[in-house]
Amino acid sequence: MSQREDLRERVLSWAEARHLDTEHIQRWLALDAASAAAILHAASSLGLRTGQAQAALEMLEEIALREGTDAASILARAPFKRILEGAGSAPARARAFVNELRVMRFPRLGRALEELKAEVAALKLPQTVRMVLPKDLGSDELRIELRVRDGEELRASVRTLESRIAAIERILALIGGPV
Amino acid sequence: MNFELDEIVIEEQCRHSPLAARIIRASLDVPVRFTDDARQDIRPNPNAADPFAAGKRKMVIMHRRAPFLMACPAGSSEFACCGYLVMVLASNCPMDCSYCFLQDYIADNPAFQVYANYTDAFDELERARRRLSDRALRVGTGELADSLAFDRITGASRDLVGYCASRDGILLELKTKTDEIDNLLSVDPRGRTLVSWTLSPDRVFATSEKGTASPTARIKAAQRVLEAGYKVAFHLDPIIAYADAERDYLALLVELFDFVSPEDISFISLGGLRMTPALRSAARKRHPQDPMLCGEDVLAADGRYRTFTPLRVSLFGALERRIAAASPAILRYLCMEPASVHRRVLGRSPAPPAAVGATLARH
Repeated sequence: MSQREDLRERVLSWAEARHLDTEHIQRWLALDAASAAAILHAASSLGLRTGQAQAALEMLEEIALREGTDAASILARAPFKRILEGAGSAPARARAFVNELRVMRFPRLGRALEELKAEVAALKLPQTVRMVLPKDLGSDELRIELRVRDGEELRASVRTLESRIAAIERILALIGGPV
Repeated sequence: MNFELDEIVIEEQCRHSPLAARIIRASLDVPVRFTDDARQDIRPNPNAADPFAAGKRKMVIMHRRAPFLMACPAGSSEFACCGYLVMVLASNCPMDCSYCFLQDYIADNPAFQVYANYTDAFDELERARRRLSDRALRVGTGELADSLAFDRITGASRDLVGYCASRDGILLELKTKTDEIDNLLSVDPRGRTLVSWTLSPDRVFATSEKGTASPTARIKAAQRVLEAGYKVAFHLDPIIAYADAERDYLALLVELFDFVSPEDISFISLGGLRMTPALRSAARKRHPQDPMLCGEDVLAADGRYRTFTPLRVSLFGALERRIAAASPAILRYLCMEPASVHRRVLGRSPAPPAAVGATLARH
C-alpha cells in the first residue's frame, strides 16, 4: 500500500468512526497529502468532534485560499503547535484549536469583538443589566436586557444605564462602524 | 469583446424576427437550431459539469411571455431602495463573476435568453410612463443581464436609446462591465440614456470577474460615451472587504476621477458583498479558488452573509468621504442596506424608493 493510500485509509477510518459527512470527507481527501495528514494528526490527537472537524476543515481551506498557502503550513504555526503539544484535557484543547482557527479566519472581527467586550466590561454593570452584542457583529443593534424583581431594582438599573450613556454610545459607534 | 457560444436555439415564432436575423448574421460559426417552444431549452443541462456555465454558452432567442417590466429584485421593505425599474430584455450573462446573484437566482433556467419581441417592452414602458406621469422613471436593462454584453450582435441598444431619446420622463440606464459601446456612439441619446459601469479594483477584477473588461477599460469607455452625449454613473458594488480593500477602492476612485470629471458623474452607488446561503454555496462550488469569497462575512440579520457591520460601514464611510470631497454634487446611495446604515454613512435617512428613483432619473 502506498503512503497516499495508507493516508486515505486512515482518514476514512477516522471519518467513519465520527460519521463525518461525504462532502467533508471528499474535501479532506482532495487536499495535498501533507495537509490531509496534518489535519488527521490534529483530529486524532485532540479527539475533535464531528462538528469541530467540519468547521476546522472549512476554516483551514478558507484561510489557505486567502493566504495562498496550505493547511499543513497553517497547522505548523506556533499557536497550533502549542495546542497540539500542550497539556490539558483533549476537549479543552479541541475547543482552543477551533477557536484559534476562528481567530485566523476572522482576524478583524476577532479584534473588533475583543475591543467591544472590553468596553462592555468597563461599564461595570450590575447583574440586573446586560449588554448583548449582535452575533458576529452581523447587525448594528445592541440589545440591553434588564432583569428586575421590584421597583427599586428597576430604578437602580435605569440610573446605572443613564450614568453610562456616553460609554454605551461609544459601544454603539463601535458596533455600527465609524461615522 | 468576443463571447463564445456553443449553440443558438431559435423559437419558431421568432425565426423571422429582426433580432434573430441580426444574431444569425453576426454568428456565422455557431450552430443554429430551431424549436417550437424554447422553454425546455432554457432549463439546466443535467449532463453538464457546470450547468450554469453551460447555460451562458447557449443563446436562446425566444418570445417573452411574461411582462418585460418588473420591480428590482433587490428591493425589500428591510432596505432602503433606489426605485429602479427593471426591463428584462435578456437573462444571464456571458461573463462569469464569482459573486453574481444570478448563479442562484436563475439556476433553474440558466440559458442565455434574449427576447425577440423586446420592442413590446416599449408599449409597457409607455403605459407606465402615462400611469406615473407625475414622476420621472429610471428604467434599466442591466439586472438579469449585462446591458451591452452581446450588443455587438443584437444591436438592441440602438432601438432602446432611440426610443427613449424622444420620451420625456424616462431615464434609460444601461448597466455593464464591458466596453461594448460602439453601437451607442451612433445614436444621439438626447440626454435620456445613462450608461453605468460596475467598478472593482484590479485585484477583484483579476480574481472574480472572469470575461469582463478591465476597470481601466470600463472607465475609458465611460469617458467616450460621455463625450457622445450620454450620462454616466458608477456602481461600486459589490465592495469586497479584503485586507487592502480600502486602499484599493480609494485608488480606483482616484483613477476614475482622473478620467471622468466628478461633475460629469450622475451618481455613484455603493453596496457591500451580500450573499444568501444558497448563493454563497453555489458561488463557492463554482469558484472554489476565489479568495474574495472567503472574506470576514457573517450571517447578518437579514439572512444574508455580509462583511461584519463595523468593517463594512467603515469602508462605505471612507469611500463616501472621498466621493463627497471630489464633488458634493454627485448623488450617492447605498444598495440593500438598512436605514440605520444610510444615516451613519450618508448622514441622512433614505428617501422613499420612488422619490430616489425620480431624483436619479432627473439628475
